[in-house]
Amino acid sequence: MKDIFLLAYRDIKERKARTSLTLLGIAVGIAAVIALMSVGYGFQQSVTGELVEMADLIMVLPGKASLGSEYVELGSFNERDLKDVGRIGGVKETATGASSMEEVEYRGEKTVVSIVGIEPRDVGVVFGDMVKTEEGRFLRDNDHKACLIGHSIAKDYFDEEIRVNDRLKIGGSKFRVVGILEKQGGFKSELDSEIRVTRRDAKSILGNDGISWIFVRVRNIGEAEEIADEIEERIDENHKLDDFTSAMTMGSVIDQLKTIFTLLQAVLIAIASISLIVASIGIMNTMLMSVMERTHEVGIMKAIGAKNRNVLSLFLLESGMLSVVGGVLGCVLGVTGANVISIGIGAALGEGIPAIVRPEVLLGGILVAVLVGVLSGLYPARKASRMSPVEAVRYE
Amino acid sequence: MIRAENLSKVYRMGKIEVPALRDVSLEIKEGEFLAIVGSSGSGKSTLLNMLGCLDKPTSGAVFIDGVNTASLNENELAEIRREEIGFIFQQFNLIHSLNALENVSLPMFFAGVSSEERMKRAAELLAKVGLRERMHHKPSELSGGQQQRVAIARALSNNPEIIIGDEPTGNVDSETGNAIMGILEGLNREGRTVIVVTHDTEIAAHAPRVKRMKDGRLLEQ
Repeated sequence: MKDIFLLAYRDIKERKARTSLTLLGIAVGIAAVIALMSVGYGFQQSVTGELVEMADLIMVLPGKASLGSEYVELGSFNERDLKDVGRIGGVKETATGASSMEEVEYRGEKTVVSIVGIEPRDVGVVFGDMVKTEEGRFLRDNDHKACLIGHSIAKDYFDEEIRVNDRLKIGGSKFRVVGILEKQGGFKSELDSEIRVTRRDAKSILGNDGISWIFVRVRNIGEAEEIADEIEERIDENHKLDDFTSAMTMGSVIDQLKTIFTLLQAVLIAIASISLIVASIGIMNTMLMSVMERTHEVGIMKAIGAKNRNVLSLFLLESGMLSVVGGVLGCVLGVTGANVISIGIGAALGEGIPAIVRPEVLLGGILVAVLVGVLSGLYPARKASRMSPVEAVRYE
Repeated sequence: MIRAENLSKVYRMGKIEVPALRDVSLEIKEGEFLAIVGSSGSGKSTLLNMLGCLDKPTSGAVFIDGVNTASLNENELAEIRREEIGFIFQQFNLIHSLNALENVSLPMFFAGVSSEERMKRAAELLAKVGLRERMHHKPSELSGGQQQRVAIARALSNNPEIIIGDEPTGNVDSETGNAIMGILEGLNREGRTVIVVTHDTEIAAHAPRVKRMKDGRLLEQ
């Protein structure tokens, strides 16, 4: 067995330039698939990974809400709804907020920004301790006409950068900036372009005390779906409406996101597979040329007693060896490529999305390479094995 | 041992049929040394290819040890070539990427002989044909006569009863040619059946039995 490897290896070695180009073809094909999968998976993890930490969260909204479709607000909740939600078994804590788009003025410049009214202590319910300020502090219960602004609002929304203690005019009254949040990006990127005020101040800006959303933390993640159903039922009953409330668990959001990512990855892989098809044509071409050049040699082998399957396995082994080496090289190129892409994305977007290379993807890459190699080597190998010895030996 | 009955071979070149063998019958006994002489195009190589199971006749049959080779499939023919026949060609037909030792061990490789045994036997055979010092040389590093001796060692590797030489001296000078014929005579003395095809009557003179061919027919002496 060892010797047939040596025989195949020697044949490969004799045609260095051609085999290394073929190798490169396979390697690039495999590398493209591995790089795209790793970047895609890294992206998926960086989005859903944050959400997994919030898996005990249920978002309750007054309107039809689902991922991938426009949210239509049908009204607002009231204090009674909030109380009822708090009484449901398994609910650990609740947080509420009101939001609307309002005109904001800074040093004579005006724009429209999403204003969120939230009880200062509720910030932790919604985001845990993942959100930090870059400058200044969070809101406090006794703050009056104070606001906490997102990173983009401070840096990009106005010609002049907003600093802590600067003043903004929101809905006609002046607010003092007490803190600027760190840049968030990813799934929490909406925090970057929001201004937070206390619920009390929000009431005076909005002119009503409607609740735009309720966030619920549950004690046991396993019960989240049931509790979400119960929340929808209770609030719909309060308002005497069907399908008024949407209670989405983070779990279901994660599932939906995963579906979207899987689809996205499938498309990327399909595109990358084209290079694999091209590579397999390359192997077939190389092997066909090799068979043709070695017609005389095949004739000799058959004349001295090689059976068809001896010849077949020799050529198959050769294309198999080519593709294994190509596959391994492809893994190395793929991992490098994935990191280069992720650094490139990081430089372009200003936030790093680390590529995640899973071992099963590498293993799969090598397996696919071998499969491609053997399949595209099959036709040339059969052609060689079926040559007539007397004609092949006469061929020069 | 080998019996050819009414062998005919017709090659088709487009629409023209070219008869290479016309109704050839021949019997070769075990341990015989036969030379077939003829000019190029006389059909002697075609006949040899039939006798050596490299090619199939258009009509007629070749019997080897009483077995009709026309009834055998490709794999069975390959087995006969591997185990019972040793080929020596005019062009030596060694594999260039392999050294002498590896070339000689190749038929044993196809026969599934273990690596150590192959190397041992190949070395013995190369020593027997006087190439003890050149075992690790590639064909391109050997002279024509040396290459032909490697080819003879290769023909012997599975210890066949029949040795077939197609112009084995055609590509070497006459001195080397005589030496090669000497080796073949030695093999014949060991009891092997040797069949040689040549256009050179001087070379044919080494064989006790000589047959002449012309225009695809065997001439009666």
